[in-house]
Amino acid sequence: MRDEAETNRAIERYGDTVRRLCMIHLKNEADTQDIFQTVFLKYLLHDRPFESEEHEKAWFIRVTLNACRDLLKSVFRSRTVPLEELSTQIAHLTDERREVLSAVLELPRREREAVYLHYYEGYTAPEIGRLLGKNINTIYTHLARAREHLRERLGGEDHG
Amino acid sequence: MDERIRDAFDSIHAGEELKESTRAALANARTRRRRPARYLAAVACLVLLVAGIGGYQFYFAPTSVLSIDINPSLELGVNRFDRVVTVQSYNEDGQALADTLELKYLDYREALDQLLASPDISERLAQGALLSITVAGENETQCGRLLAGAEACTAGQENVSCRHGNAEDLEQAHHAGLSLGKYQAFLELQALDPTVTAEDVAGLTMRQIRDWIDALEQGVPAEGESQTGGQSGHGHHYGWHE
Repeated sequence: MRDEAETNRAIERYGDTVRRLCMIHLKNEADTQDIFQTVFLKYLLHDRPFESEEHEKAWFIRVTLNACRDLLKSVFRSRTVPLEELSTQIAHLTDERREVLSAVLELPRREREAVYLHYYEGYTAPEIGRLLGKNINTIYTHLARAREHLRERLGGEDHG
Repeated sequence: MDERIRDAFDSIHAGEELKESTRAALANARTRRRRPARYLAAVACLVLLVAGIGGYQFYFAPTSVLSIDINPSLELGVNRFDRVVTVQSYNEDGQALADTLELKYLDYREALDQLLASPDISERLAQGALLSITVAGENETQCGRLLAGAEACTAGQENVSCRHGNAEDLEQAHHAGLSLGKYQAFLELQALDPTVTAEDVAGLTMRQIRDWIDALEQGVPAEGESQTGGQSGHGHHYGWHE
Protein backbone atom coordinates (compact mmCIF):
# COMPACT_ATOMS: atom_id res chain seq x y z
CA MET A 1 0.00 0.00 0.00
CA ARG A 2 1.33 3.40 -0.96
CA ASP A 3 1.86 5.99 1.74
CA GLU A 4 0.04 9.27 2.13
CA ALA A 5 2.82 11.38 0.62
CA GLU A 6 2.79 9.27 -2.54
CA THR A 7 -0.97 9.41 -3.01
CA ASN A 8 -1.04 13.15 -2.30
CA ARG A 9 1.66 13.69 -4.91
CA ALA A 10 -0.30 11.59 -7.42
CA ILE A 11 -3.52 13.50 -6.74
CA GLU A 12 -1.72 16.78 -7.39
CA ARG A 13 0.07 15.50 -10.47
CA TYR A 14 -2.65 13.46 -12.16
CA GLY A 15 -5.83 14.88 -10.61
CA ASP A 16 -6.45 17.25 -13.54
CA THR A 17 -5.89 14.47 -16.09
CA VAL A 18 -8.31 12.15 -14.32
CA ARG A 19 -10.82 14.98 -14.01
CA ARG A 20 -10.65 15.76 -17.75
CA LEU A 21 -11.00 12.11 -18.70
CA CYS A 22 -14.03 11.91 -16.43
CA MET A 23 -15.49 14.94 -18.12
CA ILE A 24 -15.28 13.46 -21.59
CA HIS A 25 -17.18 10.38 -20.39
CA LEU A 26 -19.39 11.44 -17.54
CA LYS A 27 -21.91 14.14 -17.32
CA ASN A 28 -22.32 14.67 -13.61
CA GLU A 29 -20.24 15.52 -10.58
CA ALA A 30 -21.29 12.55 -8.46
CA ASP A 31 -20.02 10.05 -11.04
CA THR A 32 -16.84 12.07 -11.47
CA GLN A 33 -16.24 11.92 -7.74
CA ASP A 34 -16.82 8.14 -7.75
CA ILE A 35 -14.35 7.57 -10.55
CA PHE A 36 -11.83 9.97 -9.08
CA GLN A 37 -11.83 8.04 -5.81
CA THR A 38 -11.83 4.66 -7.55
CA VAL A 39 -8.77 5.56 -9.61
CA PHE A 40 -6.73 6.84 -6.68
CA LEU A 41 -7.80 3.89 -4.51
CA LYS A 42 -6.42 1.61 -7.22
CA TYR A 43 -3.24 3.64 -7.14
CA LEU A 44 -3.10 3.29 -3.34
CA LEU A 45 -3.19 -0.48 -3.71
CA HIS A 46 -0.99 -0.68 -6.79
CA ASP A 47 2.34 -1.68 -5.27
CA ARG A 48 4.37 -2.36 -8.37
CA PRO A 49 6.74 0.46 -9.27
CA PHE A 50 6.38 2.36 -12.53
CA GLU A 51 9.24 2.42 -15.01
CA SER A 52 8.91 6.14 -15.64
CA GLU A 53 6.59 9.10 -15.27
CA GLU A 54 5.19 8.38 -18.74
CA HIS A 55 4.43 4.86 -17.68
CA GLU A 56 2.70 6.15 -14.56
CA LYS A 57 0.66 8.70 -16.51
CA ALA A 58 -0.38 6.08 -19.07
CA TRP A 59 -1.45 3.86 -16.18
CA PHE A 60 -3.68 6.64 -14.83
CA ILE A 61 -5.23 7.24 -18.24
CA ARG A 62 -5.95 3.57 -18.82
CA VAL A 63 -7.37 2.99 -15.35
CA THR A 64 -9.56 6.09 -15.57
CA LEU A 65 -10.94 5.20 -19.00
CA ASN A 66 -11.67 1.63 -17.86
CA ALA A 67 -13.35 2.86 -14.70
CA CYS A 68 -15.52 5.25 -16.73
CA ARG A 69 -16.52 2.50 -19.15
CA ASP A 70 -17.33 0.14 -16.30
CA LEU A 71 -19.51 2.79 -14.73
CA LEU A 72 -21.31 3.44 -18.00
CA LYS A 73 -21.84 -0.28 -18.53
CA SER A 74 -23.14 -0.76 -15.01
CA VAL A 75 -26.63 -2.22 -14.92
CA PHE A 76 -27.53 0.28 -12.26
CA ARG A 77 -26.95 3.02 -14.71
CA SER A 78 -29.95 2.64 -16.94
CA ARG A 79 -30.78 6.29 -16.51
CA THR A 80 -29.43 8.78 -18.99
CA VAL A 81 -27.82 11.89 -17.76
CA PRO A 82 -29.07 15.04 -19.41
CA LEU A 83 -26.53 17.16 -21.17
CA GLU A 84 -27.64 20.15 -19.16
CA GLU A 85 -25.79 18.78 -16.15
CA LEU A 86 -22.58 18.98 -18.10
CA SER A 87 -23.24 22.56 -19.05
CA THR A 88 -23.33 23.46 -15.35
CA GLN A 89 -19.87 21.98 -15.02
CA ILE A 90 -18.42 24.21 -17.69
CA ALA A 91 -20.68 27.18 -17.08
CA HIS A 92 -17.88 29.13 -15.43
CA LEU A 93 -15.68 28.94 -18.55
CA THR A 94 -15.37 31.60 -21.22
CA ASP A 95 -17.68 31.33 -24.24
CA GLU A 96 -14.85 30.21 -26.47
CA ARG A 97 -13.75 27.38 -24.17
CA ARG A 98 -17.30 26.33 -23.49
CA GLU A 99 -18.02 26.15 -27.19
CA VAL A 100 -14.94 24.03 -27.91
CA LEU A 101 -15.59 21.64 -25.04
CA SER A 102 -19.26 21.29 -25.96
CA ALA A 103 -18.24 20.45 -29.53
CA VAL A 104 -15.74 17.83 -28.34
CA LEU A 105 -18.22 16.32 -25.91
CA GLU A 106 -20.83 15.95 -28.61
CA LEU A 107 -18.52 13.60 -30.54
CA PRO A 108 -18.97 9.82 -30.22
CA ARG A 109 -17.11 8.43 -27.21
CA ARG A 110 -14.20 6.82 -29.13
CA GLU A 111 -13.58 10.04 -31.00
CA ARG A 112 -13.72 12.08 -27.80
CA GLU A 113 -11.05 9.89 -26.25
CA ALA A 114 -8.84 10.12 -29.33
CA VAL A 115 -9.23 13.90 -29.56
CA TYR A 116 -8.37 14.42 -25.91
CA LEU A 117 -5.37 12.10 -25.98
CA HIS A 118 -4.06 13.49 -29.24
CA TYR A 119 -4.78 17.23 -29.01
CA TYR A 120 -4.41 17.71 -25.31
CA GLU A 121 -2.08 15.00 -24.02
CA GLY A 122 0.00 15.01 -27.21
CA TYR A 123 0.00 11.26 -27.85
CA THR A 124 0.51 10.11 -31.44
CA ALA A 125 -1.96 7.76 -33.10
CA PRO A 126 0.28 4.67 -32.58
CA GLU A 127 0.70 5.63 -28.91
CA ILE A 128 -3.06 6.03 -28.50
CA GLY A 129 -3.53 2.64 -30.20
CA ARG A 130 -1.20 1.01 -27.66
CA LEU A 131 -2.77 2.86 -24.77
CA LEU A 132 -6.32 1.88 -25.67
CA GLY A 133 -5.45 -1.49 -27.12
CA LYS A 134 -6.85 -0.51 -30.51
CA ASN A 135 -5.68 -0.82 -34.09
CA ILE A 136 -3.71 2.26 -35.18
CA ASN A 137 -5.83 2.67 -38.31
CA THR A 138 -8.93 2.77 -36.14
CA ILE A 139 -7.38 5.61 -34.18
CA TYR A 140 -6.50 7.45 -37.39
CA THR A 141 -10.08 7.03 -38.51
CA HIS A 142 -11.45 8.31 -35.19
CA LEU A 143 -9.16 11.32 -35.33
CA ALA A 144 -10.02 12.10 -38.94
CA ARG A 145 -13.75 11.89 -38.29
CA ALA A 146 -13.47 13.93 -35.12
CA ARG A 147 -11.49 16.61 -36.92
CA GLU A 148 -14.14 16.73 -39.59
CA HIS A 149 -16.92 17.13 -37.06
CA LEU A 150 -15.08 19.78 -35.11
CA ARG A 151 -14.25 21.73 -38.22
CA GLU A 152 -17.91 21.77 -39.13
CA ARG A 153 -18.87 22.81 -35.68
CA LEU A 154 -16.15 25.27 -34.77
CA GLY A 155 -14.98 26.60 -38.10
CA GLY A 156 -12.11 25.72 -40.29
CA GLU A 157 -8.69 26.75 -38.99
CA ASP A 158 -7.46 23.21 -38.51
CA HIS A 159 -3.74 22.73 -38.23
CA GLY A 160 -3.94 19.17 -36.83
CA MET B 1 -7.95 24.12 -33.71
CA ASP B 2 -5.29 22.25 -31.74
CA GLU B 3 -4.60 25.33 -29.71
CA ARG B 4 -8.29 25.97 -29.01
CA ILE B 5 -8.86 22.40 -27.85
CA ARG B 6 -5.74 22.49 -25.69
CA ASP B 7 -6.77 25.78 -24.16
CA ALA B 8 -10.30 24.57 -23.48
CA PHE B 9 -9.15 21.39 -21.73
CA ASP B 10 -6.50 23.36 -19.90
CA SER B 11 -9.21 25.27 -18.13
CA ILE B 12 -10.60 22.08 -16.57
CA HIS B 13 -9.10 21.26 -13.19
CA ALA B 14 -9.79 18.89 -10.39
CA GLY B 15 -11.33 21.12 -7.75
CA GLU B 16 -9.89 21.31 -4.26
CA GLU B 17 -13.11 19.80 -2.89
CA LEU B 18 -12.76 16.77 -5.17
CA LYS B 19 -9.14 16.27 -4.15
CA GLU B 20 -9.96 16.67 -0.49
CA SER B 21 -12.80 14.13 -0.57
CA THR B 22 -10.49 11.71 -2.37
CA ARG B 23 -7.74 12.20 0.20
CA ALA B 24 -10.30 11.47 2.92
CA ALA B 25 -11.49 8.34 1.09
CA LEU B 26 -7.90 7.11 0.81
CA ALA B 27 -7.29 7.76 4.50
CA ASN B 28 -10.40 5.69 5.28
CA ALA B 29 -9.23 2.92 3.01
CA ARG B 30 -5.87 2.89 4.75
CA THR B 31 -7.52 2.49 8.15
CA ARG B 32 -9.76 -0.29 6.85
CA ARG B 33 -6.81 -2.09 5.32
CA ARG B 34 -4.94 -1.89 8.58
CA ARG B 35 -7.82 -3.41 10.49
CA PRO B 36 -6.87 -6.99 9.52
CA ALA B 37 -3.86 -6.49 11.78
CA ARG B 38 -6.29 -6.14 14.65
CA TYR B 39 -8.08 -9.31 13.62
CA LEU B 40 -4.74 -11.03 13.37
CA ALA B 41 -3.90 -9.87 16.87
CA ALA B 42 -7.21 -11.24 18.10
CA VAL B 43 -6.59 -14.54 16.36
CA ALA B 44 -3.08 -14.65 17.82
CA CYS B 45 -4.53 -14.08 21.30
CA LEU B 46 -6.99 -16.89 20.72
CA VAL B 47 -4.23 -19.20 19.56
CA LEU B 48 -2.20 -18.32 22.65
CA LEU B 49 -5.22 -18.94 24.82
CA VAL B 50 -5.85 -22.32 23.23
CA ALA B 51 -2.15 -23.14 23.45
CA GLY B 52 -2.25 -22.00 27.07
CA ILE B 53 -5.19 -24.24 27.86
CA GLY B 54 -3.56 -27.05 25.90
CA GLY B 55 -0.30 -26.45 27.75
CA TYR B 56 -2.15 -26.40 31.04
CA GLN B 57 -3.81 -29.70 30.17
CA PHE B 58 -0.49 -31.05 28.97
CA TYR B 59 1.25 -30.20 32.21
CA PHE B 60 -1.50 -30.57 34.78
CA ALA B 61 -3.21 -33.69 33.50
CA PRO B 62 -2.00 -36.72 35.47
CA THR B 63 -0.81 -39.47 33.16
CA SER B 64 -0.01 -41.97 35.90
CA VAL B 65 -1.00 -42.55 39.45
CA LEU B 66 1.08 -43.57 42.44
CA SER B 67 -1.15 -45.14 45.03
CA ILE B 68 0.42 -44.97 48.47
CA ASP B 69 -1.28 -47.17 51.04
CA ILE B 70 -0.36 -47.86 54.60
CA ASN B 71 -3.48 -46.84 56.16
CA PRO B 72 -3.38 -43.31 55.25
CA SER B 73 -4.21 -43.85 51.63
CA LEU B 74 -3.07 -41.30 49.14
CA GLU B 75 -2.91 -41.19 45.43
CA LEU B 76 -0.41 -38.96 43.72
CA GLY B 77 -1.32 -38.00 40.16
CA VAL B 78 1.90 -37.71 38.19
CA ASN B 79 2.10 -35.81 34.92
CA ARG B 80 4.11 -36.76 31.84
CA PHE B 81 7.12 -34.97 33.29
CA ASP B 82 7.03 -37.19 36.39
CA ARG B 83 5.86 -34.36 38.61
CA VAL B 84 3.09 -34.66 41.14
CA VAL B 85 0.12 -32.63 39.99
CA THR B 86 -2.70 -34.02 42.12
CA VAL B 87 -2.86 -35.38 45.64
CA GLN B 88 -5.99 -37.33 46.44
CA SER B 89 -6.66 -38.81 49.86
CA TYR B 90 -8.93 -41.79 50.40
CA ASN B 91 -9.48 -41.54 54.13
CA GLU B 92 -9.14 -39.10 56.97
CA ASP B 93 -5.63 -40.20 57.82
CA GLY B 94 -4.70 -39.72 54.23
CA GLN B 95 -6.22 -36.26 54.22
CA ALA B 96 -4.36 -35.33 57.39
CA LEU B 97 -1.13 -36.55 55.87
CA ALA B 98 -1.77 -34.71 52.61
CA ASP B 99 -2.43 -31.53 54.57
CA THR B 100 0.89 -31.67 56.38
CA LEU B 101 2.96 -32.20 53.27
CA GLU B 102 3.49 -30.05 50.23
CA LEU B 103 3.79 -32.66 47.55
CA LYS B 104 2.38 -30.86 44.57
CA TYR B 105 4.77 -30.01 41.73
CA LEU B 106 7.54 -32.03 43.26
CA ASP B 107 9.31 -34.71 41.31
CA TYR B 108 7.59 -37.96 42.31
CA ARG B 109 10.81 -39.25 43.88
CA GLU B 110 11.09 -36.20 46.09
CA ALA B 111 7.42 -36.57 46.95
CA LEU B 112 7.98 -40.23 47.93
CA ASP B 113 11.03 -39.29 49.99
CA GLN B 114 9.01 -36.68 51.84
CA LEU B 115 6.19 -39.11 52.44
CA LEU B 116 8.49 -41.84 53.75
CA ALA B 117 10.27 -39.32 55.94
CA SER B 118 7.06 -37.92 57.39
CA PRO B 119 6.61 -38.88 61.07
CA ASP B 120 3.22 -40.36 60.32
CA ILE B 121 4.55 -42.90 57.85
CA SER B 122 7.98 -43.52 59.29
CA GLU B 123 6.49 -44.35 62.70
CA ARG B 124 3.98 -46.73 61.21
CA LEU B 125 6.69 -48.43 59.20
CA ALA B 126 8.80 -48.74 62.31
CA GLN B 127 5.87 -50.45 63.98
CA GLY B 128 5.74 -53.00 61.22
CA ALA B 129 2.96 -51.54 59.14
CA LEU B 130 3.03 -52.32 55.47
CA LEU B 131 3.36 -49.65 52.83
CA SER B 132 2.23 -50.46 49.35
CA ILE B 133 3.09 -48.30 46.39
CA THR B 134 1.13 -49.14 43.28
CA VAL B 135 1.83 -47.54 39.94
CA ALA B 136 -0.81 -47.41 37.25
CA GLY B 137 -1.34 -45.43 34.09
CA GLU B 138 -1.98 -45.60 30.39
CA ASN B 139 1.66 -45.17 29.45
CA GLU B 140 3.56 -48.38 30.15
CA THR B 141 6.93 -46.72 29.67
CA GLN B 142 6.19 -44.10 32.26
CA CYS B 143 4.73 -46.66 34.64
CA GLY B 144 7.87 -48.75 34.33
CA ARG B 145 9.98 -45.70 35.00
CA LEU B 146 7.91 -44.63 37.98
CA LEU B 147 7.96 -48.12 39.43
CA ALA B 148 11.73 -48.31 39.10
CA GLY B 149 12.03 -44.87 40.67
CA ALA B 150 9.72 -45.83 43.53
CA GLU B 151 11.65 -49.04 44.14
CA ALA B 152 14.88 -47.07 44.25
CA CYS B 153 13.38 -44.60 46.73
CA THR B 154 12.17 -47.33 49.02
CA ALA B 155 15.14 -49.66 48.66
CA GLY B 156 16.14 -49.20 52.27
CA GLN B 157 12.66 -49.87 53.63
CA GLU B 158 11.76 -53.33 54.80
CA ASN B 159 8.01 -53.18 54.79
CA VAL B 160 7.44 -51.47 51.53
CA SER B 161 6.29 -53.17 48.41
CA CYS B 162 6.08 -51.66 44.99
CA ARG B 163 3.92 -53.05 42.24
CA HIS B 164 2.31 -52.43 38.93
CA GLY B 165 -1.35 -51.71 38.71
CA ASN B 166 -3.41 -51.23 35.65
CA ALA B 167 -5.59 -48.42 34.46
CA GLU B 168 -8.72 -50.54 34.52
CA ASP B 169 -8.25 -51.51 38.17
CA LEU B 170 -7.57 -47.88 38.94
CA GLU B 171 -10.94 -46.89 37.61
CA GLN B 172 -12.70 -49.67 39.49
CA ALA B 173 -10.82 -48.81 42.66
CA HIS B 174 -12.05 -45.26 42.45
CA HIS B 175 -15.52 -46.54 41.77
CA ALA B 176 -15.34 -48.60 44.97
CA GLY B 177 -14.00 -45.57 46.85
CA LEU B 178 -10.63 -47.19 47.50
CA SER B 179 -7.16 -46.24 46.53
CA LEU B 180 -5.61 -48.51 43.93
CA GLY B 181 -3.19 -50.23 46.31
CA LYS B 182 -5.92 -51.09 48.74
CA TYR B 183 -8.27 -52.16 45.96
CA GLN B 184 -5.73 -54.63 44.63
CA ALA B 185 -5.24 -56.08 48.07
CA PHE B 186 -9.02 -56.26 48.34
CA LEU B 187 -9.17 -58.20 45.06
CA GLU B 188 -6.66 -60.71 46.41
CA LEU B 189 -8.70 -61.06 49.55
CA GLN B 190 -11.92 -61.41 47.66
CA ALA B 191 -10.43 -64.19 45.53
CA LEU B 192 -9.94 -66.15 48.76
CA ASP B 193 -13.19 -65.10 50.38
CA PRO B 194 -15.85 -63.93 47.99
CA THR B 195 -17.99 -62.59 50.80
CA VAL B 196 -15.58 -59.76 51.55
CA THR B 197 -16.76 -56.37 50.36
CA ALA B 198 -14.94 -53.14 49.65
CA GLU B 199 -16.49 -51.58 52.75
CA ASP B 200 -14.95 -54.33 54.88
CA VAL B 201 -11.44 -53.32 53.91
CA ALA B 202 -11.91 -49.58 53.62
CA GLY B 203 -11.00 -48.91 57.25
CA LEU B 204 -8.24 -51.50 57.53
CA THR B 205 -4.54 -50.88 57.31
CA MET B 206 -2.56 -52.64 54.65
CA ARG B 207 -1.00 -54.76 57.36
CA GLN B 208 -4.42 -55.90 58.52
CA ILE B 209 -5.52 -56.78 55.00
CA ARG B 210 -2.26 -58.59 54.34
CA ASP B 211 -2.53 -60.58 57.54
CA TRP B 212 -6.08 -61.44 56.66
CA ILE B 213 -4.95 -62.73 53.26
CA ASP B 214 -2.13 -64.69 54.87
CA ALA B 215 -4.55 -66.24 57.32
CA LEU B 216 -6.95 -67.24 54.56
CA GLU B 217 -4.11 -68.66 52.48
CA GLN B 218 -2.97 -70.74 55.39
CA GLY B 219 -6.48 -71.98 55.87
CA VAL B 220 -6.78 -70.40 59.29
CA PRO B 221 -10.28 -69.18 59.83
CA ALA B 222 -9.71 -65.57 60.58
CA GLU B 223 -12.04 -62.74 61.37
CA GLY B 224 -10.55 -60.04 59.16
CA GLU B 225 -12.35 -57.24 60.85
CA SER B 226 -11.07 -58.22 64.26
CA GLN B 227 -7.44 -58.63 63.24
CA THR B 228 -5.19 -56.26 64.98
CA GLY B 229 -2.22 -57.03 62.74
CA GLY B 230 0.92 -55.04 62.37
CA GLN B 231 2.96 -56.63 65.11
CA SER B 232 4.15 -59.78 63.46
CA GLY B 233 5.82 -58.62 60.32
CA HIS B 234 8.83 -56.66 61.52
CA GLY B 235 11.75 -56.80 59.20
CA HIS B 236 9.87 -58.77 56.65
CA HIS B 237 9.70 -57.51 53.12
CA TYR B 238 6.45 -58.56 51.59
CA GLY B 239 6.93 -59.60 48.04
CA TRP B 240 3.30 -59.89 47.10
CA HIS B 241 3.69 -58.40 43.77
CA GLU B 242 4.86 -61.55 42.02
